[in-house]
Amino acid sequence: MKVRFWGTRGSLPVAQKAAAIRDKIATALVAADGRRFADLDEARTFADDELEFAVGGTYGGATSCVEIEAGDEFILCDLGSGAREFGLDAMARCARGHARVYHLFMSHFHWDHIMGFPFFVPVFDPETKIVIHSGHADAELALRRQQEEISFPVAFDWLRAQISFVTLETGKPYAIGAVTVELIEQNHSHKSYGYRFTDAAGKSVVYSTDSEHKVDRMDQEAAFVAFFGDCDLVICDTMYSLADSASMKEDWGHSSNVVAIDLCHQAQAKRLALFHHEPTYSDADIQRMHQESIRYEELTREAAPLAVICAYDGLTVEV
Amino acid sequence: MTQGTLDWTVETREGLRLIAPIGRVDETTATEFAERLAEEIAKAASDGHKRLAIDLAEIEYMSSRGLRGLTLAQRQSADSGITIVLARPNQIMREILAISRYDKVFQVFDDIDGI
Repeated sequence: MKVRFWGTRGSLPVAQKAAAIRDKIATALVAADGRRFADLDEARTFADDELEFAVGGTYGGATSCVEIEAGDEFILCDLGSGAREFGLDAMARCARGHARVYHLFMSHFHWDHIMGFPFFVPVFDPETKIVIHSGHADAELALRRQQEEISFPVAFDWLRAQISFVTLETGKPYAIGAVTVELIEQNHSHKSYGYRFTDAAGKSVVYSTDSEHKVDRMDQEAAFVAFFGDCDLVICDTMYSLADSASMKEDWGHSSNVVAIDLCHQAQAKRLALFHHEPTYSDADIQRMHQESIRYEELTREAAPLAVICAYDGLTVEV
Repeated sequence: MTQGTLDWTVETREGLRLIAPIGRVDETTATEFAERLAEEIAKAASDGHKRLAIDLAEIEYMSSRGLRGLTLAQRQSADSGITIVLARPNQIMREILAISRYDKVFQVFDDIDGI
């Protein structure tokens, strides 16, 4: 099983401004310290091996969209703005023979998780079958409403793909495509759902975004510890600091790196991917949050280490 | 100290109740930690103290459950007109307070006399 991150930003897409790129280049030039590179490949190796990620790369700015590669059919979590690029890439794969079947799993239907759907090219292919799975019974309403004339020029009924909606229930395993899927209800405005995908080899990935673990409802966390149990990769909403999530941003529906690490420790999960990055954060801010998360994991570790990675647009993780 | 419990010392000074938990505050001790904080807030209020200081020098580490217990205590103490402050964080607690940004929402003192 592979996990590909097509959009990792929370709430709103962001883009790098010219000054941010200039500063990355300037920092790289200072780090190179007059070194000469024979060709672009040698320069790329320098960027990969010797520059911090926040200097030599970027975490990206597309909103939530994560592909789970398992079996012959596409599996995708959420339709944030990252779904546009995924759709183009998927069409290219279909042109090379990939099955034109998509299983979409929706955490919820807030703006940043559906804004990619009108730009998701496979919806215009009549040979394509798209099944939209959700814990929400009003999934179709949410996607149709987004394409009403007041919001978008292309109506939902103009889409050519064979689109269907399936409402899933918590507490039941579903065999969908090449995986078994379970879901858990999460605390978020109008609810959200987390998903656990398990492949035939027993490898598992949890996608748990837009999930607030409330300061006065810590008794609810045992269910998440069980849901994350022994998972190979847990993708978690880590948008805020713990202090923010318990004060100024309480009830905004998001969680922190610190709570995610504690839950994964208790669940004895193997890897945690920090996800749904705060849109006001620069690359340097996200990198700092990642480094702090690694340190917190070290400080609070009681058993096996938890690998803490930081999701970025374009990252592929082998599970 | 036995595993899964915290030891505590309590001291009172002019206008101040000073409590010092000893051990780890994690999922096994967080409930005890939160309940004890609630008791200490009630005692501070009944004794007329305006501040409750939590000495963090002997805390091995504190997970998010303990930190969120501090938030709940802060809310409860505000209702009683009591301010909770943190004191003498050791190096590990200093890092945890910084990573969680709890050093932005609690006043932190380097020594008891400075409170």
